[in-house]
Amino acid sequence: MEVRLERRLTKESLGQRVAVAALSVVAALILGAIFLLLTGFSPLTVYYEMFKSAFTTWYGITDTLAVSIPLILTGLAAAVAFRMGLYNIGAEGQLYVGAILSSWAALAIAPGLPRPLAIVLVLGAGMLGGALWILVPAVARAWLGTSEIITTLLLNFVALYLMRYLIFGSASYWRDPAVTNFPQGKTIPEEAYLPVLGLTRVHLGLLIGLLAAVLLWVMINRTRFGFNMRVIGDSPAAARYAAIPIRRTILTVMLMSGALAGLAGASEVTGISHTLDPNGLAVNFGYTGIIVAALARSNPFGVVVVAVLLGGLQNAGSTLQTLSETPVPIETSYMLQGAILLCALAGELFVRYRVHIRRGPGATKEPSGGVLRGARSGP
Amino acid sequence: MNEAVWVVTLAAAVSAGTPLALAAVGEILAERSGVLNLGVEGMMLLGAVVAFLAADAAGNPWLGLLAGMAAGGGLAAVHAFLSVTMRANQIVSGLALVIFGTGLASFLGKPVEGQPLGSRIENIRIPGLADIPILGRILFDQDPLVYLSWLVVGLAAFYMVRTRAGLALRACGESPATADAMGLSVARIRYAHVIVGGLLAGAGGAYQVLVRVPAWNGAGTTAGIGWIALALVVFAAWRPWRALAGAYLFGAALAANFALQAAGVRVVPAEFLAMLPYLLTILVLVALSASSTRKQLGAPAALGVPYVREER
Amino acid sequence: MPEDRHPPAIEARGVVKEFPGVVANAGVDLAVERGEVHAVLGENGAGKTTLASILTGLYRPDEGEIRIKGEPVALRSPRDGLDHGVGMVYQHFRLVERFTVADNIVLGDPRQPMITSARRLEGAVAGLGERYGLRINPRAKVADLSVGEQQRVEIVKMLYRGVEVLILDEPTAVLTPQETQNLFETVKAMAADGKAVIFISHKLAEVTAVSDNVTVMRDGRVVERVKTSSTNRRELARMMVGRDVDLSVRRSKSPPGPVLLGLEGVGLAGERDAVSLQEINLEVHAGEVVGIAGVAGNGQRELSEVVAGLRTPSSGTVHIDGKDVTGAGASVARRTGLAYVPEDRLGTGLSPSLSITENLLLTRPSSFFTRRREAEEAARGIIEQFEVKASGPQAPTRELSGGNAQKVLLARELSEEPKVIVVASPTRGLDVGAAEAVRGLLDERRAAGCAVLLISEDLDEVLSMSDRILALYEGRIVYETPGEGSDVEEIGLAMAGGH
Repeated sequence: MEVRLERRLTKESLGQRVAVAALSVVAALILGAIFLLLTGFSPLTVYYEMFKSAFTTWYGITDTLAVSIPLILTGLAAAVAFRMGLYNIGAEGQLYVGAILSSWAALAIAPGLPRPLAIVLVLGAGMLGGALWILVPAVARAWLGTSEIITTLLLNFVALYLMRYLIFGSASYWRDPAVTNFPQGKTIPEEAYLPVLGLTRVHLGLLIGLLAAVLLWVMINRTRFGFNMRVIGDSPAAARYAAIPIRRTILTVMLMSGALAGLAGASEVTGISHTLDPNGLAVNFGYTGIIVAALARSNPFGVVVVAVLLGGLQNAGSTLQTLSETPVPIETSYMLQGAILLCALAGELFVRYRVHIRRGPGATKEPSGGVLRGARSGP
Repeated sequence: MNEAVWVVTLAAAVSAGTPLALAAVGEILAERSGVLNLGVEGMMLLGAVVAFLAADAAGNPWLGLLAGMAAGGGLAAVHAFLSVTMRANQIVSGLALVIFGTGLASFLGKPVEGQPLGSRIENIRIPGLADIPILGRILFDQDPLVYLSWLVVGLAAFYMVRTRAGLALRACGESPATADAMGLSVARIRYAHVIVGGLLAGAGGAYQVLVRVPAWNGAGTTAGIGWIALALVVFAAWRPWRALAGAYLFGAALAANFALQAAGVRVVPAEFLAMLPYLLTILVLVALSASSTRKQLGAPAALGVPYVREER
Repeated sequence: MPEDRHPPAIEARGVVKEFPGVVANAGVDLAVERGEVHAVLGENGAGKTTLASILTGLYRPDEGEIRIKGEPVALRSPRDGLDHGVGMVYQHFRLVERFTVADNIVLGDPRQPMITSARRLEGAVAGLGERYGLRINPRAKVADLSVGEQQRVEIVKMLYRGVEVLILDEPTAVLTPQETQNLFETVKAMAADGKAVIFISHKLAEVTAVSDNVTVMRDGRVVERVKTSSTNRRELARMMVGRDVDLSVRRSKSPPGPVLLGLEGVGLAGERDAVSLQEINLEVHAGEVVGIAGVAGNGQRELSEVVAGLRTPSSGTVHIDGKDVTGAGASVARRTGLAYVPEDRLGTGLSPSLSITENLLLTRPSSFFTRRREAEEAARGIIEQFEVKASGPQAPTRELSGGNAQKVLLARELSEEPKVIVVASPTRGLDVGAAEAVRGLLDERRAAGCAVLLISEDLDEVLSMSDRILALYEGRIVYETPGEGSDVEEIGLAMAGGH
């Protein structure tokens, strides 16, 4: 049997991409089912419970949306970098620093200000925090060519330790001195609270995330800057030829990416926890955002959709832990996310290449199937 | 008494650097074949938990080591499949494996979290050599895996430079089209070396659990040293002996925490000490890029690019 | 041919090979005897390289069979090819630049011991060098060798592996005239030794000079198989293209006008990955084509980039249409009236994943929002006017064949009505029709008063169009001659540093 790959020359259609994504999810679910069976759980029950809790009840849906907000933002952060062929693995740390800076702004500047202004300042501080945290890797990548993969990632650990230090390791400005039995952050003033939809946990961050997705799409596909970005990501030699300012563009895009991740942190602080809560923030939003962007093929609108789906998965995962009959560890949902991405990666092959399978050894008299015959391209 | 502290610290540095060295040499082999495997952290973590569980169940740490290696190799095989056969984006694949591997490891390790391991690997003093003042204590009073790691590093270095197979390996990473035209199976060579890389990463993870911290602490067991190993590969310009030296350097940073505490230095909070190795790594990477010539001379030319023969 | 006692060294029978959208080989037959030099002649895109790749085992045919010494074989990989004694020197060398010559020669050789040793090899290599006139230094690093020397390494590599059939794919495209002569000597020596040599080329002069027989291919089929001594260049050209081809050289029909491009004392310091330029003085007048000849790696790319504003010279000045644009960058150069068509069409001149429409925007002056509708109309216009084979203006440019990509690139660059046109290897890899079209376009511009700087590693290309020819060697202009009546030998000598 002979298997041969041929690169597809034409651009893949939206239908193809969605089909591959959908099939990957199915494949991952099947693999997950096998795993669950092996570890003594009933896949059907687990999947049913997951779907039920995340997508069918009002509480479930709104919780899913609430969890998807930071995922939308970190997903956009990763996506905008991917479009240029850059890998921002540091969204996790940028989120933490965004949370740190925005909670500081909320505590120090916001009291007494009118609410809209307070919110803008606090969110802005979050974006600034994220951008600051990516600054060194961004400059190093733009001017020195240092791989941003490792530098952004290592800073995640530094940020985590920093955040823990501020709440658990010291009596810092962020720490609430009044609570003595367990280290906790000060509650931010109400001026800085994000408005919430009814009694749910869905806060303004959702609209901000959607707006960001739209703005990003417009920027990438309709502006000169986005055009430059795409050329650099496609062929740096062509970008140089076209006198596109490569270094400046790399820096700008990475800062944007960091700012989005920082915004995610700020939105968690102002919309959900209302304090700097290291344990509540360190739940892999940054890493999951990368998965979101990869599955959505870096399309901003796709990011929104996938973020909601994975948010549902994450939400369901935490609910499953509390099931009395079959408590499933939350790690299962992380594994499922990883599995979905792995299957999607494998599936990409079919989008980029056409696979020819022929029975029998090489040179036979039978024509191979599926090859486009016809006029050859020429002058 | 002060002298003993820094000697003890250096000895700890060697031990702390050993998992780094193992993982780094494994990654060097993988990258030399042209495949970038970012999943080192996941492989190490999975190797650690499997080693723990196996050693616990069998009462034998060496079995734990083998099991941990197999786990790392298994995860690496997935990466090899995706990268070589499915021509996937190697960076995303590696990241997916870290996430998946971390999740799987946490899942498997949940029941035994915090539990100390009964059987660990003890030190072996090499008679004679261990009596050398200072150096003896640092180098020759270590656990047997440290000695084995030297063997691995030496073998890897010799293999790459002086053997026919090593030449084939390097050709795959520099110019797979050439290797293919000369009759080598690029796919087979890449699979083999990526999996070996996984075996070594698994060994590194197992080391953490069997020698250094004889307990499973979730993701904190490796706390990101898999990523430092990746940086180490660049730092070592893809050469095993340099990776060993670099590993000990970073091991010193990791062990510095202990030393400073022992010396009664309490000015710097524990969290900041913990940040040191990561900040140091970033510094080194940036400095390396600034001195551009060295960086250019190192990387295999075809690293990270899937090879398809009939690409027209 | 008379009955042979031995079966042919290698044969192809009814070979068919298809790729997406193109039938590269549509039933090809070929037979080459021991000791024969057999040329496979055809224009770019005729299917010669595909056929050769099948003969070595790199590609597998969809139909048909290969026979070696009369026995049918199924070659599944280049390894099989080598095992059966068939080897190829590819157009893009299969060498690991970082390795030494010795390492490259023994790579993948199953006869080598497990632990390598350089000394064993040196004797064998020296012997081969003597026998076939191929002197190389086994300890040299391939990256340090010239293109001609690298080719010698490729040949020795194959001979060392004991090939009986050696295929050379367009070997002379990158050589100086003297090196080409040396290659012919080597080929004849190999044939005299009983090896079968297959010489793939689109250059008529070489085919007639070195081969015993010629198989002419066109559009994936064999058109004709002739004994070389019984035919001539014009007939071969007609077989190759299917019609009478204008082989004449194009020159300017009027005296040159004012200087539109001037380089004075231009120098470029040698950087890590760049050749240094020294004391370049160059003028191109309106209505003139100046051709720069040189072997690859002597500063051609650096020169074109300095002219186009992509590199800042460390000394000297660049003037376009009288204005000093030294160091001002590529956008300024463009705005002042310069167009640059680089050698790398699909990676530099065009962005491969972007559509034709978007590529037209690549070198337009910026505005905040991209002007897509205009660009799309322009793209449609270009596709029609230049007969570009593409699925539409939104097709990604990597879908285009070499010739079509070049048309789009040229159309874009010429649409801004430039005064100075810098082209690098404009007809490389193009079939005769496309090459004619390109030459026609440039000729038209020359007549309209543009100044054209033509840089190419292919001397024939330079000779076919230039009014004046300069030779570039190690970053210096070492020779100058008017195109009319130029001495190819002298130019070749200059290209090799003999001036």
